[in-house]
Amino acid sequence: MPRRLTMAEEFEPRIVAFLCKWCSSAGSDLAGVSRMQYPPNVLPITVMCSGSVSPLYIFDAFNKGADGVLVSGCHPGDCHYIKGNYYARRRIALVNKLLEFIGLEPQRFRMSWVSAAEGIKYTQIISDFVADLKPLGPQTKLRRKK
Amino acid sequence: MVNVEDLRKEAKRILKEEKVKYIIGYARSQSGLMPVPVFIKTPEEADRLIWDPTCVHNLVKFLVDEKRRKSKEKKPDERPVGIVVKGCDSRAINVLLQEKYIDRENVHIIGVSCEKSGVIDEKKLTKKLKGKKIKSTEFDENGQIAAVTEDGKVKIPAEEVLAERCLECQANYPVIYDVLFGDKTKKKIDDPFKSLDKLESISEKERWDFWAQQLSKCIRCYACRSACPMCYCDECVVDTITFAVSADTTADEKAGKIKWVEKSPVSSENFVYHLVRAMHLAGRCIDCGECERVCPMDIPLRFLNKKLEKEAKKLFGYDAGFDPDTPSLVSSFKDEDPEDFIR
Repeated sequence: MPRRLTMAEEFEPRIVAFLCKWCSSAGSDLAGVSRMQYPPNVLPITVMCSGSVSPLYIFDAFNKGADGVLVSGCHPGDCHYIKGNYYARRRIALVNKLLEFIGLEPQRFRMSWVSAAEGIKYTQIISDFVADLKPLGPQTKLRRKK
Repeated sequence: MVNVEDLRKEAKRILKEEKVKYIIGYARSQSGLMPVPVFIKTPEEADRLIWDPTCVHNLVKFLVDEKRRKSKEKKPDERPVGIVVKGCDSRAINVLLQEKYIDRENVHIIGVSCEKSGVIDEKKLTKKLKGKKIKSTEFDENGQIAAVTEDGKVKIPAEEVLAERCLECQANYPVIYDVLFGDKTKKKIDDPFKSLDKLESISEKERWDFWAQQLSKCIRCYACRSACPMCYCDECVVDTITFAVSADTTADEKAGKIKWVEKSPVSSENFVYHLVRAMHLAGRCIDCGECERVCPMDIPLRFLNKKLEKEAKKLFGYDAGFDPDTPSLVSSFKDEDPEDFIR
């Protein structure tokens, strides 16, 4: 039985994180195997490249009830496919502006560069994200009503 | 000033010389003020062609249809198709050329200049003339619109009846053409994104309320998609029914297909649909305003596309539809693209 949320308990946001296989996913692995502590609110989805993240994935994550969405890739110049993260940077910038324009809280969507060696940075990004999402409460704007 | 007789003469000439298969243009309709798209196949019919401020449609959509039709023909007629285009429509052709959807030799572009004016918004004009029956409209040499009603000729300042997009137009004459009618006078625009100011200045919550109210009206008739010359995908991501289904496809397989967006017109699904459409048109939308014009629920869809047009210009210095030889917005990048939003 899943635990029911009582009023006294704090809201725990759910984050969907699209991590690229070569850097960010390895970075999150490093955080894990190094036993670094970070909030367990994130649902990581490994993708081959941050450039392969379609805007539809992001809208769909919000639609299926994500409270926040993170897209993370290699630092510029480090992409396994040479230029995938440059394409992502352009596309995600537009998604970011569009979500802001329709009135979604800008804190709910972010992008980061995390390399395979940056386990600490990854834990920091997730901790910051969770801290920013907690005061906002559940995301109901784009969520599908049951 | 565009002389319609010149336009008809040119149409007759190219049809007589059999240079084109047919000409897509505007013609007077049987009822009402607004014209209808027309397909002229013989020189005799060419007299039906018109050009006046009521020619609002973007006919480039028919080039997309033509390509589909041609691909099914066994022995297709390889001659080009003639098309009458305004400035905005010519940019749509440029985008199709840029994406290699059509070839330059498949289209004979007959450009008409809007000069200092533009096309009218039917609703605005009817409101302005308080419901009087309008027989015809014409361009005025000073960039004004002259409307002929049952009481005679009325001159109206253009900014009062022009379509919203024409007030922010960045190409009032065709940027690509084989033959051009009218002058290449550039209309002076102070701020091509002025209509966005109001929405951008209000708070995030008010913006959400605005869009939630507007998009919950959507009935998902997909008229915006059908009218858009850029929405030419054979399979649309929001249409689960267009997935390839063969005789061997089982019911289980059909049910298990990825369904990104539910078909039911509820707010959350409408948001996904319209956001996806906006993203798919980023750097491609040339602001012909057809989506908004055909919307039966009067949703201001143009704002979504206009916003991304503005960001493309501001962040990446990109203008859609001016140069068919440059790479498109999302299939190119620069080293100095902004990344201040990335952590």
